[in-house]
Amino acid sequence: MIPVRLHKRPICLASVLMVPLLYLGAPNWLKLSGVTPCWAVLWLLPWALEDGPLSGICAGLFLGLWIDGLSLDGPTYIPTLMLLGFWWGRLGRRGPPIERSYNLGLLGWIGSFFVGLSIWVQIMFIEMNTPLDWIHSWGFYTLLAQSILTGIMAPIIGSWLLLLWRGKLSS
Amino acid sequence: MKLMGPYPWALPVIIRRFRRFLPWLLVGCSFGIVRWSKGAFFADTYAFLSRPFWPGTAQREWIQAGQRLENKSKISLLEKDNARLRGLLSLQKSFRNNETSAAVISRKTQGWSQQFELSKGSLQGIAKGDPVMGPGGLVGVIDSVTPLTSRVRLLTAPGSRIGVWVPRSSHHGLLLGRGTSRPQLIFLAKDPLVMPGDLVSTSPVSTLVPPNIPIGIIQSVDNLAIPAPIAVVQLIAAPEAIDWVQVKIR
Repeated sequence: MIPVRLHKRPICLASVLMVPLLYLGAPNWLKLSGVTPCWAVLWLLPWALEDGPLSGICAGLFLGLWIDGLSLDGPTYIPTLMLLGFWWGRLGRRGPPIERSYNLGLLGWIGSFFVGLSIWVQIMFIEMNTPLDWIHSWGFYTLLAQSILTGIMAPIIGSWLLLLWRGKLSS
Repeated sequence: MKLMGPYPWALPVIIRRFRRFLPWLLVGCSFGIVRWSKGAFFADTYAFLSRPFWPGTAQREWIQAGQRLENKSKISLLEKDNARLRGLLSLQKSFRNNETSAAVISRKTQGWSQQFELSKGSLQGIAKGDPVMGPGGLVGVIDSVTPLTSRVRLLTAPGSRIGVWVPRSSHHGLLLGRGTSRPQLIFLAKDPLVMPGDLVSTSPVSTLVPPNIPIGIIQSVDNLAIPAPIAVVQLIAAPEAIDWVQVKIR
Protein backbone atom coordinates (compact mmCIF):
# COMPACT_ATOMS: atom_id res chain seq x y z
CA MET A 1 0.00 0.00 0.00
CA ILE A 2 1.40 3.38 -1.00
CA PRO A 3 1.37 5.73 2.01
CA VAL A 4 -0.63 8.90 1.51
CA ARG A 5 1.60 11.90 2.10
CA LEU A 6 0.62 14.75 4.36
CA HIS A 7 1.07 17.41 1.72
CA LYS A 8 -1.54 15.71 -0.45
CA ARG A 9 -4.17 16.17 2.26
CA PRO A 10 -5.53 19.73 2.20
CA ILE A 11 -6.89 19.38 5.73
CA CYS A 12 -3.38 18.57 7.03
CA LEU A 13 -1.88 21.38 5.00
CA ALA A 14 -4.46 23.81 6.37
CA SER A 15 -3.08 23.35 9.89
CA VAL A 16 -0.11 25.51 8.89
CA LEU A 17 -2.45 28.52 9.03
CA MET A 18 -2.11 28.35 12.79
CA VAL A 19 1.55 29.42 12.53
CA PRO A 20 1.07 33.00 11.24
CA LEU A 21 -2.07 33.35 13.32
CA LEU A 22 -0.20 32.53 16.50
CA TYR A 23 2.85 34.51 15.38
CA LEU A 24 0.74 37.65 15.16
CA GLY A 25 -1.78 37.09 17.90
CA ALA A 26 -0.37 34.81 20.58
CA PRO A 27 -2.05 35.48 23.92
CA ASN A 28 0.10 36.80 26.75
CA TRP A 29 -0.27 33.64 28.83
CA LEU A 30 1.63 31.74 26.13
CA LYS A 31 4.62 34.08 26.49
CA LEU A 32 7.60 34.01 28.79
CA SER A 33 8.39 37.62 29.73
CA GLY A 34 6.99 38.75 26.39
CA VAL A 35 8.88 36.13 24.33
CA THR A 36 6.75 33.68 22.36
CA PRO A 37 7.69 30.09 21.47
CA CYS A 38 8.96 29.49 17.93
CA TRP A 39 5.66 28.56 16.30
CA ALA A 40 7.31 27.63 13.01
CA VAL A 41 9.44 25.00 14.76
CA LEU A 42 6.43 23.63 16.63
CA TRP A 43 4.63 22.98 13.34
CA LEU A 44 7.64 21.95 11.24
CA LEU A 45 8.85 19.28 13.68
CA PRO A 46 5.88 16.87 13.40
CA TRP A 47 5.41 17.69 9.72
CA ALA A 48 8.98 16.81 8.77
CA LEU A 49 9.04 13.72 11.00
CA GLU A 50 5.92 12.46 9.29
CA ASP A 51 6.42 13.61 5.71
CA GLY A 52 10.13 13.14 5.04
CA PRO A 53 13.17 15.29 4.25
CA LEU A 54 12.09 16.72 0.89
CA SER A 55 8.73 17.80 2.23
CA GLY A 56 10.55 19.12 5.35
CA ILE A 57 12.85 21.28 3.23
CA CYS A 58 9.92 22.67 1.24
CA ALA A 59 7.88 23.29 4.37
CA GLY A 60 10.88 25.02 5.96
CA LEU A 61 11.28 27.24 2.92
CA PHE A 62 7.60 28.21 2.78
CA LEU A 63 7.38 28.76 6.52
CA GLY A 64 10.54 30.85 6.44
CA LEU A 65 9.17 33.00 3.66
CA TRP A 66 5.93 33.42 5.54
CA ILE A 67 7.53 34.36 8.86
CA ASP A 68 9.99 36.69 7.13
CA GLY A 69 7.02 38.39 5.50
CA LEU A 70 5.42 38.96 8.89
CA SER A 71 8.59 40.27 10.53
CA LEU A 72 10.62 43.44 10.22
CA ASP A 73 13.18 43.67 7.45
CA GLY A 74 16.50 42.16 8.40
CA PRO A 75 17.29 38.63 9.53
CA THR A 76 15.73 35.63 7.79
CA TYR A 77 14.37 32.34 9.13
CA ILE A 78 14.66 30.47 5.82
CA PRO A 79 18.03 28.67 5.95
CA THR A 80 17.66 27.31 9.48
CA LEU A 81 14.08 26.14 8.95
CA MET A 82 15.08 24.38 5.71
CA LEU A 83 17.99 22.64 7.43
CA LEU A 84 15.79 21.61 10.36
CA GLY A 85 13.13 20.31 7.97
CA PHE A 86 15.72 18.20 6.19
CA TRP A 87 17.24 16.88 9.45
CA TRP A 88 13.94 16.02 11.08
CA GLY A 89 12.69 14.46 7.83
CA ARG A 90 15.70 12.12 7.76
CA LEU A 91 15.23 11.27 11.42
CA GLY A 92 11.62 10.37 10.77
CA ARG A 93 12.41 8.24 7.73
CA ARG A 94 15.48 6.40 8.98
CA GLY A 95 14.59 5.20 12.45
CA PRO A 96 11.56 4.13 14.41
CA PRO A 97 8.76 6.73 14.64
CA ILE A 98 9.66 9.56 17.02
CA GLU A 99 6.66 10.27 19.19
CA ARG A 100 7.80 10.20 22.81
CA SER A 101 7.40 13.45 24.69
CA TYR A 102 11.04 13.64 25.70
CA ASN A 103 12.25 13.18 22.11
CA LEU A 104 9.82 15.74 20.71
CA GLY A 105 10.70 18.20 23.46
CA LEU A 106 14.42 17.79 22.92
CA LEU A 107 14.14 18.16 19.14
CA GLY A 108 11.91 21.23 19.58
CA TRP A 109 14.37 22.77 22.02
CA ILE A 110 17.34 22.15 19.71
CA GLY A 111 15.43 23.46 16.68
CA SER A 112 14.31 26.62 18.42
CA PHE A 113 17.81 27.17 19.79
CA PHE A 114 19.35 26.99 16.32
CA VAL A 115 16.68 29.22 14.77
CA GLY A 116 17.24 31.81 17.53
CA LEU A 117 21.00 31.52 17.25
CA SER A 118 20.87 32.11 13.51
CA ILE A 119 18.64 35.18 13.96
CA TRP A 120 20.91 36.51 16.69
CA VAL A 121 24.05 36.07 14.60
CA GLN A 122 22.35 37.76 11.63
CA ILE A 123 21.30 40.72 13.78
CA MET A 124 24.84 41.06 15.10
CA PHE A 125 26.14 40.95 11.55
CA ILE A 126 23.63 43.54 10.32
CA GLU A 127 24.30 45.80 13.32
CA MET A 128 28.04 45.42 13.03
CA ASN A 129 28.64 49.16 12.83
CA THR A 130 26.98 49.94 16.15
CA PRO A 131 28.36 49.24 19.62
CA LEU A 132 27.42 45.65 20.35
CA ASP A 133 28.16 45.28 24.03
CA TRP A 134 24.45 45.38 24.77
CA ILE A 135 23.23 42.83 22.29
CA HIS A 136 24.66 39.84 24.09
CA SER A 137 22.52 40.02 27.21
CA TRP A 138 19.34 40.70 25.28
CA GLY A 139 20.02 38.05 22.64
CA PHE A 140 20.99 35.48 25.23
CA TYR A 141 17.84 36.14 27.21
CA THR A 142 15.58 35.90 24.13
CA LEU A 143 17.35 32.77 22.89
CA LEU A 144 16.98 30.96 26.21
CA ALA A 145 13.39 32.05 26.82
CA GLN A 146 12.24 31.04 23.36
CA SER A 147 14.02 27.69 23.26
CA ILE A 148 12.82 26.71 26.74
CA LEU A 149 9.25 27.64 25.90
CA THR A 150 9.39 25.79 22.58
CA GLY A 151 10.93 22.74 24.25
CA ILE A 152 8.12 22.66 26.79
CA MET A 153 5.37 23.06 24.20
CA ALA A 154 6.80 20.74 21.54
CA PRO A 155 5.64 17.47 23.19
CA ILE A 156 2.12 18.83 23.63
CA ILE A 157 1.61 20.41 20.21
CA GLY A 158 3.80 17.92 18.32
CA SER A 159 2.02 14.88 19.75
CA TRP A 160 -1.36 16.42 19.12
CA LEU A 161 -0.54 17.27 15.49
CA LEU A 162 0.92 13.81 14.87
CA LEU A 163 -2.19 12.16 16.27
CA LEU A 164 -4.42 14.46 14.25
CA TRP A 165 -2.59 13.88 10.97
CA ARG A 166 -2.23 10.12 11.45
CA GLY A 167 -5.94 9.92 12.22
CA LYS A 168 -6.68 11.76 9.00
CA LEU A 169 -4.27 9.57 7.05
CA SER A 170 -5.74 6.33 8.33
CA SER A 171 -9.33 7.44 7.76
CA MET B 1 -16.13 119.09 109.94
CA LYS B 2 -17.22 120.64 106.63
CA LEU B 3 -13.64 121.45 105.93
CA MET B 4 -12.97 117.78 106.25
CA GLY B 5 -15.46 117.04 103.38
CA PRO B 6 -14.53 114.72 100.50
CA TYR B 7 -11.41 115.74 98.65
CA PRO B 8 -11.99 115.93 94.82
CA TRP B 9 -9.02 113.60 94.07
CA ALA B 10 -9.98 111.05 96.56
CA LEU B 11 -9.75 107.41 95.43
CA PRO B 12 -13.49 106.74 95.29
CA VAL B 13 -13.97 109.62 92.89
CA ILE B 14 -11.29 108.31 90.53
CA ILE B 15 -12.84 104.88 90.57
CA ARG B 16 -16.27 106.31 89.84
CA ARG B 17 -14.98 108.31 86.86
CA PHE B 18 -13.00 105.33 85.59
CA ARG B 19 -16.11 103.20 85.68
CA ARG B 20 -17.84 105.79 83.53
CA PHE B 21 -15.04 105.62 80.94
CA LEU B 22 -14.53 101.89 81.10
CA PRO B 23 -17.00 100.94 78.31
CA TRP B 24 -15.43 103.45 75.98
CA LEU B 25 -12.03 102.15 76.86
CA LEU B 26 -13.11 98.61 76.01
CA VAL B 27 -14.62 99.74 72.72
CA GLY B 28 -11.39 101.54 71.87
CA CYS B 29 -9.31 98.47 72.72
CA SER B 30 -11.51 96.23 70.64
CA PHE B 31 -11.10 98.54 67.65
CA GLY B 32 -7.38 98.50 68.30
CA ILE B 33 -7.41 94.71 68.22
CA VAL B 34 -9.39 94.75 65.01
CA ARG B 35 -6.83 97.09 63.49
CA TRP B 36 -3.92 95.04 64.78
CA SER B 37 -5.37 91.77 63.48
CA LYS B 38 -6.33 93.29 60.15
CA GLY B 39 -9.94 92.47 60.80
CA ALA B 40 -9.28 88.76 60.98
CA PHE B 41 -12.32 87.90 63.05
CA PHE B 42 -14.68 89.85 60.81
CA ALA B 43 -13.16 88.54 57.63
CA ASP B 44 -13.30 84.94 58.83
CA THR B 45 -16.83 85.35 60.09
CA TYR B 46 -17.84 86.86 56.80
CA ALA B 47 -16.23 83.99 54.94
CA PHE B 48 -18.01 81.46 57.12
CA LEU B 49 -21.39 83.11 56.71
CA SER B 50 -21.08 83.78 53.01
CA ARG B 51 -19.77 80.30 52.10
CA PRO B 52 -23.10 79.17 50.60
CA PHE B 53 -23.01 82.12 48.24
CA TRP B 54 -19.46 81.68 46.97
CA PRO B 55 -18.91 81.35 43.19
CA GLY B 56 -19.64 77.74 42.20
CA THR B 57 -17.69 75.27 40.06
CA ALA B 58 -19.42 76.59 36.97
CA GLN B 59 -17.50 79.81 37.18
CA ARG B 60 -14.24 77.96 37.81
CA GLU B 61 -14.88 75.91 34.67
CA TRP B 62 -15.48 79.09 32.71
CA ILE B 63 -12.13 80.37 33.87
CA GLN B 64 -10.40 77.09 33.02
CA ALA B 65 -12.09 76.99 29.62
CA GLY B 66 -10.86 80.51 29.05
CA GLN B 67 -7.33 79.48 30.02
CA ARG B 68 -7.49 76.48 27.66
CA LEU B 69 -8.64 78.74 24.85
CA GLU B 70 -5.84 81.14 25.63
CA ASN B 71 -3.26 78.31 25.64
CA LYS B 72 -4.65 76.95 22.38
CA SER B 73 -4.41 80.31 20.68
CA LYS B 74 -0.88 80.74 22.08
CA ILE B 75 0.13 77.32 20.67
CA SER B 76 -1.40 78.23 17.33
CA LEU B 77 0.53 81.50 17.26
CA LEU B 78 3.74 79.75 18.30
CA GLU B 79 3.27 77.10 15.60
CA LYS B 80 2.79 79.79 12.98
CA ASP B 81 5.83 81.60 14.31
CA ASN B 82 7.81 78.36 14.31
CA ALA B 83 6.78 77.60 10.73
CA ARG B 84 7.80 81.09 9.66
CA LEU B 85 11.19 80.77 11.36
CA ARG B 86 11.72 77.31 9.86
CA GLY B 87 10.88 78.82 6.49
CA LEU B 88 13.47 81.52 7.07
CA LEU B 89 16.02 78.82 7.89
CA SER B 90 15.04 77.04 4.64
CA LEU B 91 14.22 73.81 6.51
CA GLN B 92 12.23 71.37 4.45
CA LYS B 93 8.55 71.38 5.36
CA SER B 94 8.10 67.63 5.45
CA PHE B 95 4.92 67.13 7.45
CA ARG B 96 1.45 68.30 6.75
CA ASN B 97 -0.72 68.76 9.78
CA ASN B 98 -2.28 65.43 8.95
CA GLU B 99 -2.52 62.41 11.18
CA THR B 100 -4.68 59.35 11.51
CA SER B 101 -5.35 57.17 14.52
CA ALA B 102 -5.00 53.39 14.23
CA ALA B 103 -5.56 50.46 16.57
CA VAL B 104 -2.71 48.13 17.49
CA ILE B 105 -3.97 44.75 16.24
CA SER B 106 -0.80 42.77 16.96
CA ARG B 107 2.01 43.54 19.32
CA LYS B 108 5.48 42.05 19.71
CA THR B 109 7.43 44.09 22.22
CA GLN B 110 10.01 41.45 23.11
CA GLY B 111 11.85 38.84 21.12
CA TRP B 112 13.74 39.00 17.83
CA SER B 113 11.29 41.24 16.01
CA GLN B 114 9.77 44.12 17.99
CA GLN B 115 6.85 45.52 16.08
CA PHE B 116 3.24 46.65 16.01
CA GLU B 117 0.67 45.76 13.38
CA LEU B 118 -1.73 48.66 12.88
CA SER B 119 -5.30 48.55 11.64
CA LYS B 120 -4.73 51.04 8.81
CA GLY B 121 -2.55 50.89 5.73
CA SER B 122 -1.81 52.48 2.40
CA LEU B 123 -5.50 52.96 1.61
CA GLN B 124 -5.62 55.43 4.47
CA GLY B 125 -2.52 57.23 3.20
CA ILE B 126 0.06 55.61 5.48
CA ALA B 127 3.47 55.07 3.87
CA LYS B 128 6.82 53.59 4.82
CA GLY B 129 8.81 55.93 7.05
CA ASP B 130 5.81 57.69 8.62
CA PRO B 131 6.35 58.35 12.34
CA VAL B 132 4.01 56.72 14.85
CA MET B 133 3.05 58.48 18.06
CA GLY B 134 1.76 56.95 21.25
CA PRO B 135 0.34 58.77 24.24
CA GLY B 136 3.31 60.81 25.44
CA GLY B 137 5.66 60.58 22.51
CA LEU B 138 7.15 58.77 19.55
CA VAL B 139 6.98 54.94 19.59
CA GLY B 140 8.38 54.00 16.19
CA VAL B 141 8.38 54.38 12.44
CA ILE B 142 6.34 52.57 9.78
CA ASP B 143 8.47 49.75 8.36
CA SER B 144 6.10 48.36 5.73
CA VAL B 145 2.50 48.79 4.63
CA THR B 146 -0.22 46.69 3.07
CA PRO B 147 -3.49 48.16 1.77
CA LEU B 148 -5.22 47.55 5.11
CA THR B 149 -2.43 47.24 7.69
CA SER B 150 0.94 48.73 8.47
CA ARG B 151 3.90 47.45 10.46
CA VAL B 152 5.75 49.64 12.93
CA ARG B 153 9.40 49.18 13.83
CA LEU B 154 9.48 50.14 17.51
CA LEU B 155 12.19 52.41 18.85
CA THR B 156 13.31 49.50 21.02
CA ALA B 157 13.80 47.12 18.06
CA PRO B 158 17.32 46.23 16.95
CA GLY B 159 18.07 48.24 13.83
CA SER B 160 15.96 51.22 14.85
CA ARG B 161 17.92 54.48 14.44
CA ILE B 162 16.58 57.98 14.99
CA GLY B 163 18.33 61.32 15.33
CA VAL B 164 17.39 62.94 18.63
CA TRP B 165 18.05 66.10 20.58
CA VAL B 166 18.49 66.94 24.25
CA PRO B 167 16.81 70.36 24.64
CA ARG B 168 18.44 71.28 27.96
CA SER B 169 22.00 70.97 26.72
CA SER B 170 21.19 71.49 23.02
CA HIS B 171 23.12 68.41 21.90
CA HIS B 172 22.32 65.95 19.14
CA GLY B 173 22.54 62.18 19.38
CA LEU B 174 21.53 58.95 17.73
CA LEU B 175 18.92 56.78 19.43
CA LEU B 176 19.55 53.08 18.76
CA GLY B 177 17.12 50.26 19.49
CA ARG B 178 18.90 47.52 21.38
CA GLY B 179 16.23 44.90 21.95
CA THR B 180 15.54 45.85 25.56
CA SER B 181 12.79 48.23 26.63
CA ARG B 182 15.31 51.07 26.96
CA PRO B 183 17.06 52.26 23.78
CA GLN B 184 20.60 53.57 23.78
CA LEU B 185 21.53 57.16 22.98
CA ILE B 186 24.92 57.77 21.41
CA PHE B 187 26.02 61.39 21.52
CA LEU B 188 27.84 63.05 18.69
CA ALA B 189 29.77 65.43 20.97
CA LYS B 190 32.50 64.36 23.36
CA ASP B 191 31.04 66.33 26.25
CA PRO B 192 27.26 66.46 25.82
CA LEU B 193 26.61 67.95 29.31
CA VAL B 194 23.57 65.76 29.96
CA MET B 195 22.44 64.19 33.19
CA PRO B 196 19.82 61.65 34.26
CA GLY B 197 16.37 63.19 34.07
CA ASP B 198 16.99 65.21 30.91
CA LEU B 199 14.28 65.09 28.27
CA VAL B 200 15.09 63.55 24.88
CA SER B 201 13.05 64.73 21.89
CA THR B 202 13.22 64.56 18.13
CA SER B 203 15.57 67.05 16.60
CA PRO B 204 14.13 70.55 15.94
CA VAL B 205 15.62 70.40 12.44
CA SER B 206 14.45 66.84 11.74
CA THR B 207 12.73 66.16 8.44
CA LEU B 208 12.38 62.38 8.81
CA VAL B 209 10.24 62.62 11.94
CA PRO B 210 8.24 65.60 13.21
CA PRO B 211 10.48 68.06 15.09
CA ASN B 212 10.34 68.57 18.87
CA ILE B 213 8.35 65.44 19.69
CA PRO B 214 9.18 64.06 23.16
CA ILE B 215 10.68 60.57 23.18
CA GLY B 216 11.98 59.73 26.62
CA ILE B 217 13.99 60.61 29.68
CA ILE B 218 17.67 59.91 30.16
CA GLN B 219 18.04 57.27 32.83
CA SER B 220 21.79 56.90 33.07
CA VAL B 221 24.85 58.34 31.34
CA ASP B 222 28.19 56.69 30.69
CA ASN B 223 30.61 59.57 30.17
CA LEU B 224 33.60 57.25 29.88
CA ALA B 225 32.30 55.42 26.81
CA ILE B 226 34.50 55.52 23.72
CA PRO B 227 34.37 57.24 21.22
CA ALA B 228 31.54 59.36 22.69
CA PRO B 229 29.38 59.23 25.81
CA ILE B 230 26.28 57.06 25.72
CA ALA B 231 23.06 57.15 27.70
CA VAL B 232 20.18 54.81 28.39
CA VAL B 233 16.76 56.31 27.66
CA GLN B 234 13.46 55.40 29.27
CA LEU B 235 10.69 55.87 26.71
CA ILE B 236 7.73 58.03 27.69
CA ALA B 237 5.28 56.01 25.56
CA ALA B 238 5.79 52.40 26.71
CA PRO B 239 4.91 50.07 23.78
CA GLU B 240 3.60 47.34 26.09
CA ALA B 241 0.64 49.43 27.14
CA ILE B 242 -0.46 51.16 23.95
CA ASP B 243 -3.68 50.16 22.19
CA TRP B 244 -4.11 53.14 19.88
CA VAL B 245 -1.52 55.23 18.08
CA GLN B 246 -1.42 58.28 15.85
CA VAL B 247 0.35 58.02 12.52
CA LYS B 248 1.70 61.30 11.16
CA ILE B 249 1.15 61.18 7.43
CA ARG B 250 3.72 62.94 5.27
